[in-house]
Amino acid sequence: MGVVREAFEEFWQSGVSKAGVVLLAILTAISIYVVLTMPMDFGTRYWNNPLYWADNPKAVPPAWVNHFSKVKHTVHTILIASQPVGVSYKTGVYLKYYNMTYNYVYDDFPSFITLKISNVTFYSEPPVIQLYITRPDGFIIPLYTLSIPSQPSGLPPYRVFSKGSKRILLSGDLYVARALSNFLYEKYGVFLGTTNVMQIGHEQIVFGDMVNKTYFKPLKGKYIISIVLLTHDLRDSIGRVEFVIGGRVYGLMGTDTLGRDLAKGLLFGFPVALLIGFVTSIFTTIIGASLGIISGYVGGKIDELIQRFADIVNNVPLLPILIFLCFIFKGNLWVMIAALIAFGWPGLTIVVRSMVLQIKSAQFVEAAISLGASKWRIMARHIFPNVAPFILAQLIFFTPSAILSEAALSFLGLGDPRIPTWGQILEYGFRNQAIFLGYWWWILPPGILIIISAVTFVFIALGLEPVVNPRLRRWR
Amino acid sequence: MALAKALAFKAISLMIVLIGVLFLTVIILGMTGVSDKILRSILNEQLRGIRQQLATRIKDPNELNKALEQIKQELIKAYGLDKPWYARMHKMVLRILRLDLGYARTIQTFSGSKKISDILKERIPNTILLMTTALLINYGIGLLIGVKLAAKSGTLLDRAVSLYSAVSYAIPTWWLGMLMILVFHYYLHLFPAGGMYSVPPPQGTFLRFLDLLKHVTLPVITLIIALSGSWIYTVRAILISIAQEDFVTVARAKGLPENLVLRRYIIRPAAPPLLTNIILGLAGSMGGAILTETVFGWPGMGTLYYQAIMSVDESLILALTYVFTLIYILARFLLEILYVILDPRVRY
Repeated sequence: MGVVREAFEEFWQSGVSKAGVVLLAILTAISIYVVLTMPMDFGTRYWNNPLYWADNPKAVPPAWVNHFSKVKHTVHTILIASQPVGVSYKTGVYLKYYNMTYNYVYDDFPSFITLKISNVTFYSEPPVIQLYITRPDGFIIPLYTLSIPSQPSGLPPYRVFSKGSKRILLSGDLYVARALSNFLYEKYGVFLGTTNVMQIGHEQIVFGDMVNKTYFKPLKGKYIISIVLLTHDLRDSIGRVEFVIGGRVYGLMGTDTLGRDLAKGLLFGFPVALLIGFVTSIFTTIIGASLGIISGYVGGKIDELIQRFADIVNNVPLLPILIFLCFIFKGNLWVMIAALIAFGWPGLTIVVRSMVLQIKSAQFVEAAISLGASKWRIMARHIFPNVAPFILAQLIFFTPSAILSEAALSFLGLGDPRIPTWGQILEYGFRNQAIFLGYWWWILPPGILIIISAVTFVFIALGLEPVVNPRLRRWR
Repeated sequence: MALAKALAFKAISLMIVLIGVLFLTVIILGMTGVSDKILRSILNEQLRGIRQQLATRIKDPNELNKALEQIKQELIKAYGLDKPWYARMHKMVLRILRLDLGYARTIQTFSGSKKISDILKERIPNTILLMTTALLINYGIGLLIGVKLAAKSGTLLDRAVSLYSAVSYAIPTWWLGMLMILVFHYYLHLFPAGGMYSVPPPQGTFLRFLDLLKHVTLPVITLIIALSGSWIYTVRAILISIAQEDFVTVARAKGLPENLVLRRYIIRPAAPPLLTNIILGLAGSMGGAILTETVFGWPGMGTLYYQAIMSVDESLILALTYVFTLIYILARFLLEILYVILDPRVRY
């Protein structure tokens, strides 16, 4: 065991090894967290399902940019109410109030506003739902009225919006525009038609103070958003109301043009990158090393055959062939990995063979032969342990190239759509002109993560080099 | 004689690679049924032409269709579409070897030709221009810095460059390109984002050349940053190992000036191993060029790849795979010849 300890101490001496090991620990920890907390069908169920991201703002930077900018951008907020705060009775109608308070402190306007109603239960006639917004200046805007369409058949209680919630995009809604037009007349005595209101933007009028007919400035303060259920039956209720104030900034990593939370996609990329790296490098190393050992030790025709074949495969320009294969077997991660393995092994075979040729003539091998050990036994018990450290270093060294190859192929649009990766996020960004629109949060993080994951293994391989190849020790 | 034999051996082994790649692609295309698809699209393209010709002579639509149907059946026989893929495999291989590569689905040349060989003729010079510029500058920089570093091995600068070369291996070239566009085009407005010339291109040869220079700068810098790290490191490592040889010690002991020792006793013998590394790195740098071109919309083979993938064009992908391998193998062979010239040990 002394040898291993010595080797480890040698390895641990250099700074790059330590950095590599620490990075690997972090990558592994994040990957384990992701595997435990995120569903394995994340790609198909959420990532590539635009409906899931419908309530998110599109292509906005991360929320933490507010710390670095003078202008405080609206942070994406979802207000939720599920219990009425009060009930009143007026001329035969019960009014149930679902209130939400929102403290608006930003220097720009929300990107959109959406109302979501789920699980409305009623017993006799369909109720009516109204939305009021009370502004800090005391004005109340009756923004929207939703009538539950028709009475479903069967016995009460009736439920609507129970499977999927009713989603009303208030921004751009004509009904809301009329309400806002009235509000502007009431408050400022200014008449603006619905077309003008639409041009200004609903959010600006709801959350702003008019400076002139085209310019509004944010009105900071406390807003109360009330949803009122008008009904004849006290038992009627709304299960859940959500008021979405679309941000100008979102979450930890921002969103893409589909509104996808980039933080989630980037997180999912961790285990995928490690999986691609490890599976590819392990199989490439197994194939390359065993062919090299066989070629070197057995010799003769088999050696000649393996070496010629390795030479041919080694001379194939890799990327065009990978593109071809991934293109024909569309978007399949396993085909990609198989191709990387199929064209990755020859280099190792050629080097291992030359090492085996040296070891083969060593005395301990001759001793083993004279004791009657079989070919396979000698290769497994005597030859392999002597090349093992080198093979281990190669195993580490193959890992980043697999991660980088997958990223490159994904970037060319050949990624597996079922499994989101960092390369695919970049490809989607590239295709949607992210670099020409300055969406840095979409371009920088995936690339940096690819680099970090590749650098991790490069560092470990660098640290292993003097251990595996003692001749390099002479160089300080 | 030994020289001719060595070169012939290399040539044969490279030819086997080319034929191997060709057969691999053709077999895969056949087994997946894609080759049927390709042939049918060629056939339809031809039929469209014939239809236009016939339409001027035959006015009756029924008769026209009948004639077309007959021609179609003949063509199907001629192309072997009535037989399974392996029965016409040799035909396809021969067709590709003759560079008869068929038609692209949507991509055209400037003059509007859809013939793949025409498209390639237009694109290949652009790729070679970008690649050779970047590679030559890269080799120059690598040699200059590598020699300096080898003399100062072990210093802080030397270690910093070693670290840079390790990190640069991990940086995807194409991502670096995107970063360059973001910084130098979007934020600083210094360089155009892509393409080869402005639209419309400026008049006059000199202005056109300046315009080209402006467009080529970012992709070339990107390629150099991506490639130079490992190249500097290689130069340094090879020079250091040669600097330890006995003949260098002897030269120094003779009292020769250090400059002369460096030039004649270290750099000259380093030429063949350096060339070997250039040969080995060729495939990698060509791969980097495919992706870099795509990012910068440089109208070469790399961008053509991306366009072919986006327009799901099987014939074009097959043609590109073959032509790319062909160019790679030709470049390899040229370098091998250079190697033989540079390294007397191979000759005698």
